[in-house]
Amino acid sequence: MKYAYFPGCSQGSTAEEYNRSLLAVARQLGSMELEEIPDWNCCGATPAAAIVSPTLPHSLAARNLSIARDMGMDEIVAPCAACYKNLRKASHDLNQNLELRAQARGALGDRELGRAPEVRHPLDVIVNDVGLDNIPVKKPLQGLRVASYYGCLLTRPAGGFDDPEYPQSMDRLMEKLGAEAVDWAYKTKCCGGGIYMFHEHVSFSMSADVLAHAKASGANVVAAGCPFCQLLLDLYQDKLGKIRKTVFNLPILFFTQLMGLAMDLDRQELGLEKLIVPPFSLLAETVDASSLGETSEKKAKPKPSRLKKWGEV
Amino acid sequence: MRQYEAIHPRYETSPEVEKIVEAVSVCYQCGTCSGSCPVAPAGGMDYTPRTIIRMIQAGLEEEVLASETVWTCSACYSCAVRCPRDIDITDVMIRLRNLALIRGYPARTGIARKGKVYNVDFMKIVRRLGRIYEPELVIRYHLKTNPLNLLGMAPVGLTMLLKHKLRLLPEPVAAAGRSEVQGIFYRLEKEEARKEQEAREEGKARRTKGSGKERQE
Repeated sequence: MKYAYFPGCSQGSTAEEYNRSLLAVARQLGSMELEEIPDWNCCGATPAAAIVSPTLPHSLAARNLSIARDMGMDEIVAPCAACYKNLRKASHDLNQNLELRAQARGALGDRELGRAPEVRHPLDVIVNDVGLDNIPVKKPLQGLRVASYYGCLLTRPAGGFDDPEYPQSMDRLMEKLGAEAVDWAYKTKCCGGGIYMFHEHVSFSMSADVLAHAKASGANVVAAGCPFCQLLLDLYQDKLGKIRKTVFNLPILFFTQLMGLAMDLDRQELGLEKLIVPPFSLLAETVDASSLGETSEKKAKPKPSRLKKWGEV
Repeated sequence: MRQYEAIHPRYETSPEVEKIVEAVSVCYQCGTCSGSCPVAPAGGMDYTPRTIIRMIQAGLEEEVLASETVWTCSACYSCAVRCPRDIDITDVMIRLRNLALIRGYPARTGIARKGKVYNVDFMKIVRRLGRIYEPELVIRYHLKTNPLNLLGMAPVGLTMLLKHKLRLLPEPVAAAGRSEVQGIFYRLEKEEARKEQEAREEGKARRTKGSGKERQE
């Protein structure tokens, strides 16, 4: 099926590997055709909501929705969790709330605003449209214990493709890829990405909590679906470790990169070299080792450390 | 006198204020929002979300709009999905931010002031380019808050540069699209100013009428 593709600002810079790996995976899958929305503008992210008018995020999103409608598309795929939430909320609200729709139309000027297309996250499309059984897994991710990190905006506000409190889609995907999905409590906790520029110590304490819980659950890799979560947990992992007086050493991969690995795509295309915490030694010990014949299962699995008491982590 | 003020709203009403007050009017103060909030327990808020809602109900306009909470809410929607009264608390926070800016309340704490600078500058760049340009945002923000922090950012900046995670040049929307985006900003700004002006005049008229009545009595 064909989808309009809204990459979002971060896909060209901080999360370039997300964009690259998603496109590579989509090409391989075949049934997920992405066509970029020409001349898209910023979705407004979270700060936009504050400035000028409460209708601004809807109006900025409305321009993108309207271009996608002009392309003849019924569905938009937005990989960035913030863009996804903003566009999805705008699409829903514009179709439901007539007062808001009138305001957005007034703000858009000459541009026509038809019925807003539906907005989807690539995880939703892969799990529900493509289907887990149609993913060609050539190199199972044996030995990887993945903590699926959904963050805030993949599942919230409610009404999306998965449960806002205890989502499962990424976990099922990871199991399908041959990895072990660990169960952990912080999968939908906020990393503080939205406030880290001006409230560093608070957002760092929030993300350090996330990493500590992932580590305590026995995970050796974290799968992310949001550029901000990935950036904060990866780029600042050193600092977060110092705050908690530990070394986390947890590679933070986008779920599309893990898919690419399992589908045995060219690793250059997955942008693994762009990660700050390198995943290579972990991959050599697990995925690559098992495909060479020496199964990692022979090695004793390290027991997940006991979850510490509240506040102790 | 203080009690009287607490019961009777001291704020200038406007359609925007009415929307906020109506949204929180059903709150029964269970505190689920504060319990779900990831920012408040990390020490990022001066008032918890529950307190802010109570303060709105009590009509404490100045205290609410100058608070840190309004700016440090990370908009994660944890409170909104759990609220047993179905209040979209995140949406309320976003509306409060907007109101704080329009009514020009000075931020009470340094963090709130920084949050304001960051948010306003973010949208200034989007308004000009149609998309965000991260290096400019970081530099503008630090120059306006504490330029010395730019030095502290250098190692992180260098790492990102080496990993090609930084956009060196902005990638703006094409000219026609850019003017469309600027048009959206311009029209909404005008509309907001008009609404606020109307509300202010209405309030003034009501107040003079009200004081006249009191004198008659």
